[in-house]
Amino acid sequence: MLPLRSVCGGIWRAAVHTVRTSRGAPPYRLLSSTCDGAPAALADADTIFALSSGHGRCGVAVVRVSGPASATALRCMAGFTQRLPPPRTALLRSITDPRSTEVLDRGLVLWFPAPRSFSGEDSVEFHIHGGPAVITAVLQALGSVPGLRPAEAGEFTRRAFQAGKLGLTEVEGLGDLIHAETEAQRRQALRQMSGELGRLYQDWSDRLKRCLAHVEAFIDFSEDELIEDGVLNRVDVSVRDLQAEIERHLKDERRGERLRGGVQVVIAGATNAGKSSLLNKLCQRPAAIVSPIAGTTRDVVETALDLGGFPVLLSDTAGLRDSSDLVEREGVRRALERVEQADLTLVVVDSAHLPSEVDRAAAFLREHLSSVIRISRCLLVLNKADLLPEKQRQKLDMELRGVSGLPAVCLISCQTNEGLKDFLTVLHSSVKTLCGDPLFGAPTLTQARHRAHLQRCAAALAQYQRYRDTDLALAAEGVRVAVTSLGRITGRVGAEEILDIIFKDFCIGK
Amino acid sequence: MGHESNGVSNRDTPSFNFYSDRCASHMLRKKLPFLHSLLSPVSRHVGHLAGHQYDVIVVGGGHAGTEAAAAAARVGAETLLITQKIHTIGALSCNPSLGGVGKGQLVKEVDALDGLCGRAGDWAGIHFSILNRRKGPAVWGPRAQLDRQRYRDFIQSELLSTPRLTVLEGSVEELLVTEPNPEEPGHHRVTGIRLANGSHAISARSVVLTTGTFLSGSLFVGQTTSPGGRIGDAPSSPGLSHTLRERLGLRTGRLRTGTPPRIVKDSVDLSLAKLHLPDSHPTPFSFLNTHTHCKPEEQLPCYLTFTTPGVERVVRESLQLNCHIQQDTKGPRYCPSIESRVLRFPGRSHQVWLEPEGVTSDLLYPQGLSMTMPPDIQLRLIREIPPMRRAEIHTPGYGVQYDFVCPTQLSPALQVKSTQGLFLAGQINGTTGYEEAAAQGLWAGANAARWALSMPTVTLSRTESYIGVLIDDLVSRGVTEPYRMFTSRAEFRTSLRPDNADLRLTPKGFEEVGCVSSVRYQESLRVRNSLQDALTALQALFLSTSSWKKKLPSVPISETKSTLLTGLDLLQYNDVTFEMLASAFPESLSSYMEFAQRLKIEAVYKPHCDLNKKEIERIQREENMSLPQDIDYFSLPVSLSDEVREILDRVRPSTLGAATRLEGITPAAVVNLLNYVRVTEKKKETHRNQRHQEARGILKVNLSEKKEKKVRCREHTLKF
Repeated sequence: MLPLRSVCGGIWRAAVHTVRTSRGAPPYRLLSSTCDGAPAALADADTIFALSSGHGRCGVAVVRVSGPASATALRCMAGFTQRLPPPRTALLRSITDPRSTEVLDRGLVLWFPAPRSFSGEDSVEFHIHGGPAVITAVLQALGSVPGLRPAEAGEFTRRAFQAGKLGLTEVEGLGDLIHAETEAQRRQALRQMSGELGRLYQDWSDRLKRCLAHVEAFIDFSEDELIEDGVLNRVDVSVRDLQAEIERHLKDERRGERLRGGVQVVIAGATNAGKSSLLNKLCQRPAAIVSPIAGTTRDVVETALDLGGFPVLLSDTAGLRDSSDLVEREGVRRALERVEQADLTLVVVDSAHLPSEVDRAAAFLREHLSSVIRISRCLLVLNKADLLPEKQRQKLDMELRGVSGLPAVCLISCQTNEGLKDFLTVLHSSVKTLCGDPLFGAPTLTQARHRAHLQRCAAALAQYQRYRDTDLALAAEGVRVAVTSLGRITGRVGAEEILDIIFKDFCIGK
Repeated sequence: MGHESNGVSNRDTPSFNFYSDRCASHMLRKKLPFLHSLLSPVSRHVGHLAGHQYDVIVVGGGHAGTEAAAAAARVGAETLLITQKIHTIGALSCNPSLGGVGKGQLVKEVDALDGLCGRAGDWAGIHFSILNRRKGPAVWGPRAQLDRQRYRDFIQSELLSTPRLTVLEGSVEELLVTEPNPEEPGHHRVTGIRLANGSHAISARSVVLTTGTFLSGSLFVGQTTSPGGRIGDAPSSPGLSHTLRERLGLRTGRLRTGTPPRIVKDSVDLSLAKLHLPDSHPTPFSFLNTHTHCKPEEQLPCYLTFTTPGVERVVRESLQLNCHIQQDTKGPRYCPSIESRVLRFPGRSHQVWLEPEGVTSDLLYPQGLSMTMPPDIQLRLIREIPPMRRAEIHTPGYGVQYDFVCPTQLSPALQVKSTQGLFLAGQINGTTGYEEAAAQGLWAGANAARWALSMPTVTLSRTESYIGVLIDDLVSRGVTEPYRMFTSRAEFRTSLRPDNADLRLTPKGFEEVGCVSSVRYQESLRVRNSLQDALTALQALFLSTSSWKKKLPSVPISETKSTLLTGLDLLQYNDVTFEMLASAFPESLSSYMEFAQRLKIEAVYKPHCDLNKKEIERIQREENMSLPQDIDYFSLPVSLSDEVREILDRVRPSTLGAATRLEGITPAAVVNLLNYVRVTEKKKETHRNQRHQEARGILKVNLSEKKEKKVRCREHTLKF
């Protein structure tokens, strides 16, 4: 999992002012191996690709490629066998899969030779149709071109920064950008890691680490210690099984993808604030049971919505309160987990519980918010507005807008539909912003990344088999690469961790 | 256990032998039999007067101290080695062996940097074997059983004949410390040492401490505890510990180790143990040696035997009589006592190696039986092991507890960050093992000399050597238990092989460090060029598979593969040797026969090393960005969370690369640090340029304007 620390934006700006004096300094490498868990991600010679346009329904999608093998990608996917097209000129071409030569789409291609490109490296842009199937197909085809791999989040920007292609204002945002990226990645990883897929990867990762530890133990200790003869044979079996499982999984990877395809919007708040009513209103059907009894909703109720063309996965959660009821407690735990993974949280508050003075109401809301969510973006929904006297309602509506430390506030009533229309407009624009934001983890991209890492993992396990009998150091190297490849998905692995397994499993002396 | 002896002892140590600052021309220099060394030219030199200012003082004459002193002298520093007893210089306090898996790599690297231990091992070895022979050349572990006496003789003779090196018998009472040089980071500066007994001060620009197990050392046998660093030797002066902790404010911790009893050889029935023979062709450690001093047929065997349930019973029964084992102090997980072995893994049989102590020695060393119970119970224990039913103990085993300095307080040059000119090496840094000590000693000694001679200190990357891995692990992660080298600690194990240590380190050692003789340097260049030429010649052999089949009929070459193959491709085949290719193409290859094995290894590993290269370059770039040591991370005007600031302040990574390897450092923090580095470097550059211009009297008119801008900028920075 990515390490997470909050970053104070104001201080970042200070660093940027000092950057001003450093213009013209040589470009440096930016990120570290362990920070984003992707050492190879930053090696210069790699060529990276990614969907650069926003996620969601759109007419045209832009896929960018950057790095020395960009020209290769252009040649084998857009049929430029003889020579490359003129620089920075849009050409309509058939885009084909280099493996099957099947035509995937017809679209515009642009060739930007270094240094006159966004990233300063050789770059190619594919402007293709915006359907998820086309995008996925093109990304997977790119992944099959030798030397290409999916970009880590923000990698284009980093390369541009290194090449001195970003202006000061853009550099200014870089720290925040990277923070936001890690945040988006973290949410996405959390989402995946808590699911079935996450458990699968984690299991593989644990088994691989054990294999590696046992091979390492055999290398470092078997000459002087009693390492049972069977150790390597067991590793052989494990490696073979894992390789087969991963290859099978790669063939069957489309399962479960769709679930992750929307903006995750979670409704949360205290019991009986009207969360389920809001869900029902939004999906225009009684998806959740609504009753005046506090604690009616105990599990997460999910429903998929099309909100003005954007896919949304809306979840209603159990009301947050301390409860002695085991089932309800579990519901609250799940609710908080959902909020943690959400792209957008709708915090629902019962207006009747608001203090009547506006100042105190703002303080109340701020405190309430901090008890519900920690990081993710949110909207405040003040429900049951119909229960407030007209005067107070107007006052709240006027004065809670733009109060510092509060997100957008919507005063609604699920009973009378009052304020619902305005609320929908606000919600729609928030979702739109999220979808248009390339940082918002596009699932196809994540899929492509996972796929690349899994492929590398399976190939590395094949290396183990190849060298098993002739050179155990090279065989172990294969398992090491497999562990790091998988570690890119599940979190990093250090040498100490392997040593710990060694010492847990073996009686090691000198 | 006490892998380094040392030169520090209590005031009342009788062996003090120093006359005066002015007239020490007859300083004690033990006469040694002249070694007709085949292995190294022994140059005699006239002893230096002790009275003058030394460049480097090395305290301690163990594996770290001897390498440090020799390296410092090679770099060109007037060096003084102070040790408690000259005749224990080079003593093997614990096991009579050198090398092994991981450790052998360190010995090869120390040798590649012209250190002593590889050549000493070749001189003193009496049983050579390459461990892991069947597991691939990257993890081969060259190892030798040693003759204790020969090893000591070699080291002493080497030291006493090293130019610029003086050896003094004495013990150090305290470090002399003064105000720092304001131009350099640090809060203190070391100016020399004061000897016990008579308060002689000897000044030096830098001091290397290699106190081994002697720093506040105490010995444990059964329920008795006594101060000491090794049996028969007093611990270091309390004044030294005091200076480190109180005066310099260094964080220290406590570690423990132990050594087995020595067994009378004649009392052991070796017919009941399994005979273990050495390699029939001993492979020398040193790149300069073609053969070992000991003839192949004169090598001595080792014996293998196993513990019995009786051993476990004796351990359990005597637990309450064993105060060493009851303490919380961390012992080596990798070299545990027999007590901790049977307690952690009960009901098992554990290996015990019976190793010779020397050609003429009457003793055996029972590897794996390190123990601290009372001597009578030790005897009972060993007699539970069949070959030792009637064994006699010559010297009982014992435990040692000692102070170490948390190594995160050191720079990658092994210099104490807060104290200019003070270097530490060996067990004082929390490591265990002769080889680990020797490696640090060499590096600390070379850097101490460079510091003393006003040359910039040098670092080794973990991407180029095991020594780099060792030092980086120590200074950036610290230790929680005695640190031992394993091959699995090196990320780039396939590139850092024992066979290519000379290619990796010797040129750098000569060109950048100055610790390598020109003879060795020239030899390494010859090897490098020959290997390069041979690889080129192999690649120039470009034939179709059918032609290869005709040339090498015995090799199964599949014709479905690519139609053209080079000699290098062929050499990657399991069953193809360089000899086979050379006999098929004698005109182009036969001149490289002396490198047959190295070429085979190079060919097999080349594709993997090429893959590593990109990653290595990335890490090296990050390591080239140094973070100033005197940064106040808490007030640094960049965006860092409090947690990150705390981590950075505690560890004080010396490069951006080291910072990225720390747990809890975020990507955003690294970007911000990077910006900081860029800015400070740029500032320095500007500053330099300005000074330069001023000096040449062509200062631009707009200087004042520039200054004003700078001030504005700083104000801006501070506001946040």
